[in-house]
Amino acid sequence: GLVQSCGYIIPESPVLTIGSSFTALCILNETCHDLGNIRADQIIWKIKNSIVPKEQYRVINTTVSSVTFNDTSILTSPLICNVLADGHIEQNIYGIAVTLGLPPEQPENLSCIVYQVENHAFEMKCSWNPGNHTFLETNFVLRYKWPTEKFPDCKPDRVNNSCSIKTPEFFVDLEVWVEAENILGKAVSEHIVFDPVDIVKPLPPRNLLVHSELSTVLKLAWDNSIEQTEIMHLKFNIRFRTSDSIDWQEIPLEDTASHRTSFTVQDLMPYTEYVFQVRCMKIDGKGYWSDWSKEKSGITAED
Amino acid sequence: LNSTDQAGASRSIQQTYDLTQYLEQQLRALAGTYLNYLGPPFNEPDFDPPRVIGAEAVPSATVDFELWHSLNDNARLAANYQAYSHLLCYLRAMDGATPVATPTLRHSLAHFRASLQGLLGSIAGVMSSLGYPLPPPVPAGIPTPHSHFLRKMDDFWLLKELQIWLWRSAKDFNRLRKRVPPASVMLRLDARDF
Amino acid sequence: RSPLSLFFASSDTHIQYARMGTDVTMQCGAMDWDASVTWTANGTDIDESHLNGSQLVLRNVDLTHSGQYFCYEGSSWHLKYQTTLKVGTPPKEPMLMCRSNNYPRGFYCSWHLPSPTYIPNAFNITVMHDSKEMVCEKDTPPKNRCHIRYLQLFSTKRYKVTLTVTNALGRSSYTITFDEFAIVKPDPPENVVAKPVPNNPRRLEVTWQNPSSWPDPDSFPLKFFLRYRPLIIDQWQHVSELRLPPPSGGGDGERSLCCTDRIRWAALDHRTGMDVVQSELWTSEPRSHIPTHQCTTTTSTSSFAAPPTTKICDQNVADG
Repeated sequence: GLVQSCGYIIPESPVLTIGSSFTALCILNETCHDLGNIRADQIIWKIKNSIVPKEQYRVINTTVSSVTFNDTSILTSPLICNVLADGHIEQNIYGIAVTLGLPPEQPENLSCIVYQVENHAFEMKCSWNPGNHTFLETNFVLRYKWPTEKFPDCKPDRVNNSCSIKTPEFFVDLEVWVEAENILGKAVSEHIVFDPVDIVKPLPPRNLLVHSELSTVLKLAWDNSIEQTEIMHLKFNIRFRTSDSIDWQEIPLEDTASHRTSFTVQDLMPYTEYVFQVRCMKIDGKGYWSDWSKEKSGITAED
Repeated sequence: LNSTDQAGASRSIQQTYDLTQYLEQQLRALAGTYLNYLGPPFNEPDFDPPRVIGAEAVPSATVDFELWHSLNDNARLAANYQAYSHLLCYLRAMDGATPVATPTLRHSLAHFRASLQGLLGSIAGVMSSLGYPLPPPVPAGIPTPHSHFLRKMDDFWLLKELQIWLWRSAKDFNRLRKRVPPASVMLRLDARDF
Repeated sequence: RSPLSLFFASSDTHIQYARMGTDVTMQCGAMDWDASVTWTANGTDIDESHLNGSQLVLRNVDLTHSGQYFCYEGSSWHLKYQTTLKVGTPPKEPMLMCRSNNYPRGFYCSWHLPSPTYIPNAFNITVMHDSKEMVCEKDTPPKNRCHIRYLQLFSTKRYKVTLTVTNALGRSSYTITFDEFAIVKPDPPENVVAKPVPNNPRRLEVTWQNPSSWPDPDSFPLKFFLRYRPLIIDQWQHVSELRLPPPSGGGDGERSLCCTDRIRWAALDHRTGMDVVQSELWTSEPRSHIPTHQCTTTTSTSSFAAPPTTKICDQNVADG
């Protein structure tokens, strides 16, 4: 072209906070200024293809012109620095890509649940509200530590609002927090401290069986996924309905408030089919109810 | 200790006690798996070998009956702290020697070691919450066994001592639980020689 | 059966022992073989058919042959020989059991013979631990029991107890080895009382106390298992392990037991089918070092992120 690369813009490829102010400088090379007789006051700033109002220009000196945007929200890429050379031919001096975004907000509502995935296997999933979209590549990392030990970071997998930790350690308070970082800044969530054993969601009771004993009595028996000698004792919640009804009745919680593998329901109607479900949680009420077990039905004996 | 400190101490003692029981249960499964991995005679119920040189260095939980009963809380906690900081070194050496071919075993070992590390931290937490100084960790030069069989012997004794230490610790922490009740004015018990 | 009786003469009380099923021949003191004699057993004359000359021959002896035997010279009725015959058997391998119901104070061992020997037996017990013999204080007979005080606690060394039983006809012995905590078995709880709960017909309050033989419940707390059943149902309902610390003031244990399973129709009175609350040492003692069943940890082979710890160990050696 007529005009070599006669200058450049600084900053080169800025990442700007949406809504902030921004000034760029277009700096002409000395040679171009001399040979091409190009002056800073001939510079025209453009966003994409639209001209930036002259009020936003400022000629710093013969080779430098600046443009200022009080609110970068309107800025789009590229930002171009042209010059109206002799004969009114507009020539491009330089252009930069502008990236707009936001610094990460403080991640909020950090909470964790320890899911029992197998009899002896647990996984702790922590989730949080990542805050508004930042339009930038933002890295979230879940950090956790004991007072005396730090654990390797947990890096979310293809999401930005949760991370899972394999084999959490029970009976030791864990301090957990989330850090979000992008080019525009860093934010740290509040730290939460808890004992993972207090946030367990057990697997539901399995192999639920219903035995008929008397005309008004059915005995339930099941297998627990957490044995009594292991990390916690369980309490239970039992509900039942007649097979032709949709309304569940529940056994009073205080009646099933101890670790057990069976329960006898009495005071039922003779020769009637009932459907039962059982769920469990840590005996002291810390943590989460398991899902309901599969339904199991049984019929009371004839009178 | 004011009542909030004492509530904190009481909770961390309870947690430490629960962790000790959890470790006992973990070790029971782990020991069975590991000794079966070591194979006979190590996994035979009546195997009762002499303690050879390496295993002698593993801190023993054995203690004189009268002495144990006379230990005050500080001495009890300090003995536990020193033992586990020493035992953890052995456990690391043992973990390092477990071939990659047994991923489940390696995972269980790593999980157990992390829990034990947690116990060490918990004991330290209890000691500081009760105003006791941490004992200097025992420098643990772990003798390298001269043969594969002797290494297995060391592992056997390490697992046995660990099991017994946890059994002892549960007693120590249970005593402590009773002496640092959740919500009542607590005196510096060792000064009152309870 | 050996034709000749195997018997053992005790010099001072002149007792003879003979093994059941053997033959016994008694010499009439210094009398000649062909001398005329009379034998009595427990005061009753013995038939001539049992005599071989002046000797008494008892075949395939059994317990009925036990008794006092006298031999008198024929015409003068001078007492020439007197003995007590005891028929019995050599001791079989004894049954030996050791148990600690007052851990950690000590433990006791008790023994018995699987079958009677009908003759006096002498028991000798040795308790070894860490290559040292421990004192076993015997109970007063006839109790076959002795008590050992723990000198050490939390030992990895096993205890070895050997019981040897000897009688005039033979000896037998039996040895057991065990870990310190493997023999711990508390006595049952005491004073188990079930009382209705006022204003709550579906509740029953069960209280109990630690076994008085348990010396240090603070350090060695017990856990309890309670089972109950309405009288009209045979199957026990099981309220499993109760970790209740004994409430202050109440019994050592207290369990507000709902009239479980929504029992309305069974009149619960004090004769409820309440079984004794079993008690078991709190911390389930570490069973044998190698569990009889192999526990496989079904853990997903995920990578476990252990904490990278500050190494207290001696760096070079530990990592070597």
